[in-house]
Amino acid sequence: MIRIQPDAWREMVAHAVATYPHECCGAMLGSVDDARKIVRIALPLQNASEGARERHYELRPADLLRADKEARDRNLDLVGIYHSHPDCDAYFSVTDLKNSCPWYSFVVLSIRNGAFDHANSWLPDAEQTKAEREELTY
Amino acid sequence: MAKVLIPTPLRQYAGKQDSVELSGATVGEVLTALTARYQDLRAQLYNDAGKLRSFVNVYLNDEDIRYLEKDATPVKDGDTVSIVPSIAGGAPVLTEPAAAALSKDEVLRYSRHLIMPEVGMEGQLKLKAAKVLLVGAGGLGAPLGLYLAAAGVGRIGIVDFDVVDFTNLQRQVIHGTSDVGRKKLDSAADRMIEINPYVTIDKHEVALSSDNALDILKDYDLVVDGTDNFPTRYLVNDACVLLGKPNVYGSIFRFEGQATVFAYQGGPCYRCLYPEPPPPGLVPSCAEGGVLGILPGTIGLIQATETVKLILGIGEPLVGRLLLYDALAMRFRELKLRKNPECPVCGEHPTVTKLIDYQQFCGIPSQPAAAETFEGDIDPVEVKAKIDRHDPFVLIDVREPFEYKIGNIPYARLIPLGELPKRLSEFNPDAEIVAHCKSGARSAKAVALLKQAGFRKVRNMKGGILAWSDKVDPSVPKY
Repeated sequence: MIRIQPDAWREMVAHAVATYPHECCGAMLGSVDDARKIVRIALPLQNASEGARERHYELRPADLLRADKEARDRNLDLVGIYHSHPDCDAYFSVTDLKNSCPWYSFVVLSIRNGAFDHANSWLPDAEQTKAEREELTY
Repeated sequence: MAKVLIPTPLRQYAGKQDSVELSGATVGEVLTALTARYQDLRAQLYNDAGKLRSFVNVYLNDEDIRYLEKDATPVKDGDTVSIVPSIAGGAPVLTEPAAAALSKDEVLRYSRHLIMPEVGMEGQLKLKAAKVLLVGAGGLGAPLGLYLAAAGVGRIGIVDFDVVDFTNLQRQVIHGTSDVGRKKLDSAADRMIEINPYVTIDKHEVALSSDNALDILKDYDLVVDGTDNFPTRYLVNDACVLLGKPNVYGSIFRFEGQATVFAYQGGPCYRCLYPEPPPPGLVPSCAEGGVLGILPGTIGLIQATETVKLILGIGEPLVGRLLLYDALAMRFRELKLRKNPECPVCGEHPTVTKLIDYQQFCGIPSQPAAAETFEGDIDPVEVKAKIDRHDPFVLIDVREPFEYKIGNIPYARLIPLGELPKRLSEFNPDAEIVAHCKSGARSAKAVALLKQAGFRKVRNMKGGILAWSDKVDPSVPKY
């Protein structure tokens, strides 16, 4: 399960709403205790997609590297990635799956008409064939 | 010595360390040393073929080694090697535009699309790259096939094993009068290619079943359900959910129709709406209850519209909304559909994880294997054997009297095709009937007509009197 602390959650929702109708993306820093993840800091990153950012996001590896360093500096871990689905449900799309990595939690925020609607967290498998839903609290 | 930074989730495989000091002259050597020391890490980074997994990028300091010398990139003392996953994603785009461009003729053909910014060249290329499967070439399949072909959907598969008969023509406008007796697949494909030779038609001449559905559906981007029975509807739904393909649904009855898009973007599926089928016989079919001929045109075109919208990724798809149409009142209504978390196929804890026996699920007893099937054609040799055995059956010669005079089978009764509809009362509906003509085409129409009138045991004599002359009685002249 994954729990997102209030400050981090507010940051993520604000980021997703601010970038609407484009997709946003960012990193989630926190701690892992067995299978329980706690997100303490949301780190907004740039959507580096050169295509239609309404329907696509891309994380620059350099940004991810920076997020990982930021986590180490704060004695935290990089535990997950978040992104938004503007006017679309918070499910894990085939595109998401095919560009995912099994090491992190993937939180998807559904933004409808510019306002937060709902969110889900997903755990993709190593073969990129399916993603399981992870219990999410915020 | 180089320092390898271990991402958090992988530290459990690396002695819980966040970094490891390793020696090696190149990045490849350092990684080999790493996975030699921590064997469990290997499965995380490499696939079974021993290649770095697609999402794994390796950085030397702040450079991706793919842009340096890859595995052979030299490593100096104090360098840092990082393992960075590549991550992207987004809301679904059904089809990526193919690299191919439109020909000059195609640009002309699609010009009314191309000048709309919502479609444009990019959209038209998406349509061209799209692969759509129509389940059924009947009432709904007819307008779908015509308009999707015209719109330039590049690949259209059709699943159907039926033959065109006279009762279809009142609504299945993709078939014409001269097509009666032909396979619906052939008739539909010819018409679609006539409208737009730039589309490719895949003909699937099968009854969709649990054995073949996944295999047929998997190659298409989306599926349009134009079926008229519950077992196939559940089958199409479940297969779409299992494969993650959108299911553009429509159904018609008398003066009313419904349409929606199931199993798209995490939206509800057919089972969220109807977890269980109605008892068999409760809901009459169109053959029993009738249908306004124009109705499937309206509903099929709503399905075609949604199909094109999904391909283009424009507008608001008919997801989570069931559109109800009442032709008599001329009113559209909309019901909200919600995904059922308990849904046995698309819910949180699905119990249906593979295709099942849908006939049984819908309470339809499986047919006992008949000793003799009354489907398809019968060979002249077999007809001769039946006559010789004194089997009780009726042989109808549907040719014209002048042809009968040229040569005939004495056992046969002459009823020209044009007279047959008026003379159906001469036959017992339970009787076994064989029809023949000169070569088999007219008698195929007679068979279709008889079947539609409720005669069940009707077959066509393959090759007509010409084949009879070849195989049974050479004394019968050919003409």
